[in-house]
Amino acid sequence: MPAAAGIGLRSAHVAEVLQTRPRVAWLEVHSENYFAAGGAHIAQLERIAEFYPLSLHGVGLSLGSTDPLDLRHLEQLRHALRRFEPALVSEHLAWSSVGGHHANDLLPLPYTEEALRHVSRRIAAVQDALGRQLAIENVSSYVEFSSSRLREWEFLAGVAAESGCGLLIDVNNIYVSARNLGFDPEVYLAAIPPAAVRELHLAGHTRVQANGRELLIDTHGAPVAEAVWGLYVRALARFGARPTLIEWDTDVPPLATLLAEAAHADALLGAAHAQFA
Amino acid sequence: MPSLRELQSDFLAAILGGDAAGPAGARLECELVAGGYGIAGGLAVYANNAEHHFIDSLRKSFPVVHRLVGEAYFARCAREFRRDQPSRSGDLHHLGAGFPAYWQRRHGDDHYRYLAAVARLEWLHEEALTAADHPAFDLAKLARVPPTAYDTLRFRLHPSLRLFESEFPTLAIWEANRRTEQEPEFIDLSAGGERVLLVRTTNGIAMHRLAVGEFAFLQQIEQARGFTDSIAAAEQADVEFDATVALEKFVREQVIVDLWEHP
Repeated sequence: MPAAAGIGLRSAHVAEVLQTRPRVAWLEVHSENYFAAGGAHIAQLERIAEFYPLSLHGVGLSLGSTDPLDLRHLEQLRHALRRFEPALVSEHLAWSSVGGHHANDLLPLPYTEEALRHVSRRIAAVQDALGRQLAIENVSSYVEFSSSRLREWEFLAGVAAESGCGLLIDVNNIYVSARNLGFDPEVYLAAIPPAAVRELHLAGHTRVQANGRELLIDTHGAPVAEAVWGLYVRALARFGARPTLIEWDTDVPPLATLLAEAAHADALLGAAHAQFA
Repeated sequence: MPSLRELQSDFLAAILGGDAAGPAGARLECELVAGGYGIAGGLAVYANNAEHHFIDSLRKSFPVVHRLVGEAYFARCAREFRRDQPSRSGDLHHLGAGFPAYWQRRHGDDHYRYLAAVARLEWLHEEALTAADHPAFDLAKLARVPPTAYDTLRFRLHPSLRLFESEFPTLAIWEANRRTEQEPEFIDLSAGGERVLLVRTTNGIAMHRLAVGEFAFLQQIEQARGFTDSIAAAEQADVEFDATVALEKFVREQVIVDLWEHP
């Protein structure tokens, strides 16, 4: 995967991407959107994969759950990997189901030794089943567990060390969680081992008021915030240039808007390339 | 200290049950910390996300039902359906399988019972969109079959083929409400039922009304009945059924995509 900017490919843009083949280094899709047995949707992505490196980004494997791994879901992911041969495969440091019921959202883990061992074993098992490394993404948080004995950055680095996974560092998620839960995002970045970082994510968030106080929500429905661009520059300074995704999932704007955000990321990546050269 | 599983069970109960004030929520109060917006404010984000993803997935799969009943009633029914049948998969695309039956339970005995038929048609449309592909029929294979083999001959339908039957003019309702840029035309619910074939083509999902005999013929083939028996059933259902015309039509339209001989 080139250390350049890519965009999240959403259904509203598929035809335009096929027709115009815009200048963007790579594309990322949600894995679960391509689990179907067949159809136009699948054929279109197969064609797109001829022109762009792909990243498959999963949201439904529920890696941190204490339920057994969903082997059917895993098999569908394995099938998608065979079909599209993506350059990167990623999932989240989260859980979304227990007792067979799914929230279909990315829920937080307590940062305990028990959870660290559990999720690391699960990630290792998935990597073994897929025969390749996963990049694991930090999620946005709105609450944390009082039983946590580790900070999120220590937990994430520990999971990478124990499971051998790569890391997908979502800069916006760090910013959102830092503002919500009151930690220093610079400390977070400083704790992440650069060699493990495979990809970076950038997205927009929304500010709301709850209980009379500000709460940031990771909506993926707005331009990347100025403060997040600033944190991204500092992430590049620490990790070096890395494949960087512009994610936009709700109120999806015209393709040109995503490409402009990607161009801005590319400009910052260019500066990082120069610095590290 | 509660185990990871206990924490997860309480967390999910609090956000899916919509009852952060219930017993699970009370236990979580001792286990969570949040910013100034409070634990309830933080949990509400997860609860809203989970509900939004569920309802939005149904909205995308059932656009015509959504248009017919309006956003407010659709969301209310989707919430009720979710309480009854919460998501059991990390892949949201399966959620709608039970939604037609929900409408049947909710409105099966009243004036709005056509909603269940529309929901059923929309779900078949979803299934057809994502079914497996199949290469085009090798017509030379058909030409090689001797008439003596007709009794053991079986046809294979395209994997996306779905058959739909309803007492209402459901396809007419669907067609009128898919064009969202204009007001839907008036549909007379007593205009009579429809038999519909759905199949994926290079241009999307084709939906054709079928005559009684054609429908019976495809139903027989779908159940892996022999060619001769399928024709007999179709002729019994509809005296005007013409097997040659039907076979030519369904092969041309890539509804029938292969054949095999039952040993």
